[in-house]
Amino acid sequence: MEPVPTRNPFRGSAFALAALWCLPLLPAEEPEALPWSFHPLHEQSLPEVKDSHWPRNRIDYFVLAELEKAGLSPAPEADARTLRRRLSFDLLGLPPDEAERDTEWSVLVDRHLASPHYGERWGRHWLDLARYADVTESWSDTKSPAWLYRDWVVDAFNRDLPYDRFVLHQLANDLLPGTRHEDNAALGFLGLSPSYWKELQLPPEIIGVTVAEEWEERMDVVGRTFLGLTLGCARCHDHKSDPVSAEDYYALAGVFASVQIADRPVVGEADWAPVRAAREKVKALEAERDGLKKAKPAPADLKDRLAAVGKEIEAIRSDTPKYHTATAPAVVEAALFVKPKGGEEHGTKLEYVEGMARDLPMHRRGDPNSPGEVVPRRFLAAFPRADGSPRPLDQGSGRLELARALVEEAAPLSARVVVNRVWLQHFGRGLVATPSEFGPAGEMPSHPALLDDLAARFVASGWSIKWLHREILNSATWRQGSSASPESAARDAQGQLHSHMPRRRLDAEAWRDAMLAATGELDTAMGGEPFALDDPTTTRRTLYGRVKRRELDEMLRVNDFPDPVAHSPTRTETATPLQQLFSLNGPFVIARAKHLSETLATTEGGDMERIVRIYERLFQREPTAAECELGFAFLSEGGSWERYAQVLLTSNEFLHLD
Amino acid sequence: MSRTAFPSLIDRRTALKRFGGGLGTLGFVSALEAAGGLGGGVHFPPRAKRVIHLFMNGGPFGPDFFDPKPALTKYQGERPPGADLRTERPTGGLMAVPFAYGNHGKSGLPVSELLPLTARHADDLCVLNSCYTDNPNHGPALFLMNSGSMTPKVPSLGAWMSYGLGSENRNLPSYLVLCPGRPVRFSELWHSAFLPPQHQGVYINHSKLEPDRMIPWLSHPEPDVPAQRRQLDLAAALNREHLAARGGTDTVLEGRIAAMETAFRMQFEASEAFDLSKEPQAIRETYGEGHFANGCLLARRLSERGVRFVQVYYGNGQPWDTHSKHTEQTRKLAQDIDRPIAALLEDLKQRGLLEDTLVIWGGEFGRTPVTENGDGRDHNPHGFTMWMAGGGVRGGLSYGSTDDFGFKAVEKRMHVHDLHATILHLLGIDHERLTFRHAGRDFRLTDVHGKIAREILA
Repeated sequence: MEPVPTRNPFRGSAFALAALWCLPLLPAEEPEALPWSFHPLHEQSLPEVKDSHWPRNRIDYFVLAELEKAGLSPAPEADARTLRRRLSFDLLGLPPDEAERDTEWSVLVDRHLASPHYGERWGRHWLDLARYADVTESWSDTKSPAWLYRDWVVDAFNRDLPYDRFVLHQLANDLLPGTRHEDNAALGFLGLSPSYWKELQLPPEIIGVTVAEEWEERMDVVGRTFLGLTLGCARCHDHKSDPVSAEDYYALAGVFASVQIADRPVVGEADWAPVRAAREKVKALEAERDGLKKAKPAPADLKDRLAAVGKEIEAIRSDTPKYHTATAPAVVEAALFVKPKGGEEHGTKLEYVEGMARDLPMHRRGDPNSPGEVVPRRFLAAFPRADGSPRPLDQGSGRLELARALVEEAAPLSARVVVNRVWLQHFGRGLVATPSEFGPAGEMPSHPALLDDLAARFVASGWSIKWLHREILNSATWRQGSSASPESAARDAQGQLHSHMPRRRLDAEAWRDAMLAATGELDTAMGGEPFALDDPTTTRRTLYGRVKRRELDEMLRVNDFPDPVAHSPTRTETATPLQQLFSLNGPFVIARAKHLSETLATTEGGDMERIVRIYERLFQREPTAAECELGFAFLSEGGSWERYAQVLLTSNEFLHLD
Repeated sequence: MSRTAFPSLIDRRTALKRFGGGLGTLGFVSALEAAGGLGGGVHFPPRAKRVIHLFMNGGPFGPDFFDPKPALTKYQGERPPGADLRTERPTGGLMAVPFAYGNHGKSGLPVSELLPLTARHADDLCVLNSCYTDNPNHGPALFLMNSGSMTPKVPSLGAWMSYGLGSENRNLPSYLVLCPGRPVRFSELWHSAFLPPQHQGVYINHSKLEPDRMIPWLSHPEPDVPAQRRQLDLAAALNREHLAARGGTDTVLEGRIAAMETAFRMQFEASEAFDLSKEPQAIRETYGEGHFANGCLLARRLSERGVRFVQVYYGNGQPWDTHSKHTEQTRKLAQDIDRPIAALLEDLKQRGLLEDTLVIWGGEFGRTPVTENGDGRDHNPHGFTMWMAGGGVRGGLSYGSTDDFGFKAVEKRMHVHDLHATILHLLGIDHERLTFRHAGRDFRLTDVHGKIAREILA
């Protein structure tokens, strides 16, 4: 291990051990030399290409130039059926609608982007980043329904809320002038954060560590989601590769030390004030009722008095408009101090001071019991304002200023990160292969000029995600077929040059939804309470299946759904026997196969006609002669239609996108 | 995620290239195996190939079993210096251990009267009396014991083992967790965090013994093996058509075809593995009755079939958490574990499995020598007892010690990180080199800590 230069106590050799923890891939840069992702954004000039016929838009020039440099040519365009299927799964997470078979491409793209199912698909991508769960820890400070946040995200994608606004709402909607009350649901990004159990019988030195872990969790999710930076690394010492110092860490962590997870109404104060008053009254009445029940000796007229109180509670509940309006899991402004319980008592108290914010001291080696100098809250020093100093985060907790800094001073980085995430979902891999690591420790972009050009124009478009989809979907790059030529298989096996479209497997949600769509059972109702995924008769989209942070549904778990305990930038693709047991024996799959076979049984014709029909339904094509033969042989040798349908619903063709 | 954990053998990038990115199917180590890169161990030859962890959730008190403390009787009721360490709750004076000790085996290992049958294996036991942890609260201590961190954000020991060593049996998961009910913190204790999801523990509630109820989708609701076989043949033929139309080579598509076949076999293999009724009556009798006995027997059946890591939680919730009536409760608990543990050790030995199976016993922390609620004992992270047996450890050894009262580990102190480093070492893994790159850091099970307790190695 090379010696760490000593500049402040957090860099001293005493901390070299801690430093081992955060090993960069590359040697640390000089502090002056900011990594590529921090540089200002500019539209790029188009590179020269030899084949001037292939490009359809700007994206293609950048891709083709690299291919030509490598001596490769792009794959031929995929056929219309493949493109329709790809488009539909990319944007909606659903199989293509055969009624649209002859619709002109540009109209088809517009219709897909206008579909409410678009937000369901792309909202889910965001929920992976936000470590969304319907059921969080039982001791969380909020019991409000998480789905308000999920539905808000879906709606934000559907109305193409500009990405910069999208960021502001999620971190600071309550402080943002002129927002709608229902936008408070956006605060679920913070309000649904994992919270760690704090046993308050323990001394504050121990509880303080747990609290510091929670602050690190917030730093991690905000850093990786919005900036592609691993801010958590700077908790114990200056970041070894990213331009983030330990001082930066505590300057930002102070923001999270100044908020408390809490419920928030999603209606205006005028509507909410009477509800709040009514709820308080009900709470007092309930206490009175409990007191009555416990009173010893019991009053003689106990029954009557209980009934009277009960009646009063009911009356308040039914007479107060919006009494049952759900609140959203959110945050409020309150500074947290971890203190001894006081007096001779053993233990700790968590003191939240409402409306107050606090600056944190540096924690030597990340240990809150070893405080250093207090650092005023401010944004990262690597992103100064015009006057050269980082933006102070001192209005309240500083959340709103933090959110603004993310999309103003740090706009080049934030834009590159989100553009890369959208690219990743369209191509199965990002231009940067480490989508939440944009520092020097991450991978370099495969096409830096393309990423910059797209990101610069994305910002100029008003941070419109739908604009970005159109650019990508209209490119020749996206329209390529998925079969790699021998040369591109040899020299671009990972597809990073984009010499062909990588073949992708449907994720758990798209597969389950596609089965329901193929059998005609899909219930397209949107939003609201989650349902239990282990019930094979439920036919709503998988997005609405209940996600428990501590007990993931079995079907999601084996099919690579991410652990909602932390930010997840990509889905791992595994092929395990447990997944295949679900294909072979899962009641959900069997129920779909049964339904499909029953539907086919009502149609006219013999086995052969039905085989053709099922292929059209599932794959939007006719079966080949060999496929017909295999199917026919299976059925004539006693195989049931149900088991045949099950094979097709779990086949590689059904599960993969070309 | 591009740093290699095994630089000496094969570079991860090379492996990725060689297998066309289709590692999802196999996992990294399997790719190494296929490349001929993986011999007996990972970093050096292993002493143990698999682990059975008997988890006494709630936390047992060492001096009840293996760490005799006569001073507790002598100073009963008093609170001498050294007996006033901070724990979770307010505590009173010292409380004596009423159980008599004997010296057992050739080694003369002290074992109390609570474990007469286990004591017959004294010469196999490597008792660790000087363990300590960082937090006197169940959750954080459970996390630390399972994953080396007090918060649920890093992979568990079993997930690391699965990631590092792969599976000895492709038809069964490599990490299984048995519990008749649910331990506190439940699935967070065996999750894979940022490691690929196939490495997380597969939880099995074995309070019902039908294999079908233990493994999801293990059999078809209307089983018909020939029909399913024909289905699989059709699926394979159609998938091959699909593959041929796409150039004939694609590791991902091929991987899925292979996994389907594995699943088909797993239905029988797992049903067999989990079916205790296949066990001879004589063997079942040696283990005795009850959930823990069944858990131990299942653990043997699974280890025998190559499952890398089997954790057996003693019971639902935290049964060893004896805040009141400690002595009375401990007597019952001891009676419940003695026979199954003795049977497990004997059974493994008979089958020649004990030499390369590491058995670990212990809780997430220990208990206080001082009382709580008059007759209970509070949590104690400062010093506690675990033991290991088999898999390359020295039997008949009593390693390290606590102070006169059994409160704090004083000699040859062994932090949980040290325990983890030692376990990985026995498995042929250098705990500093089994790493995974995530969120800008190279994570490892032992964080920046971990000393191997070399004295306990056979």
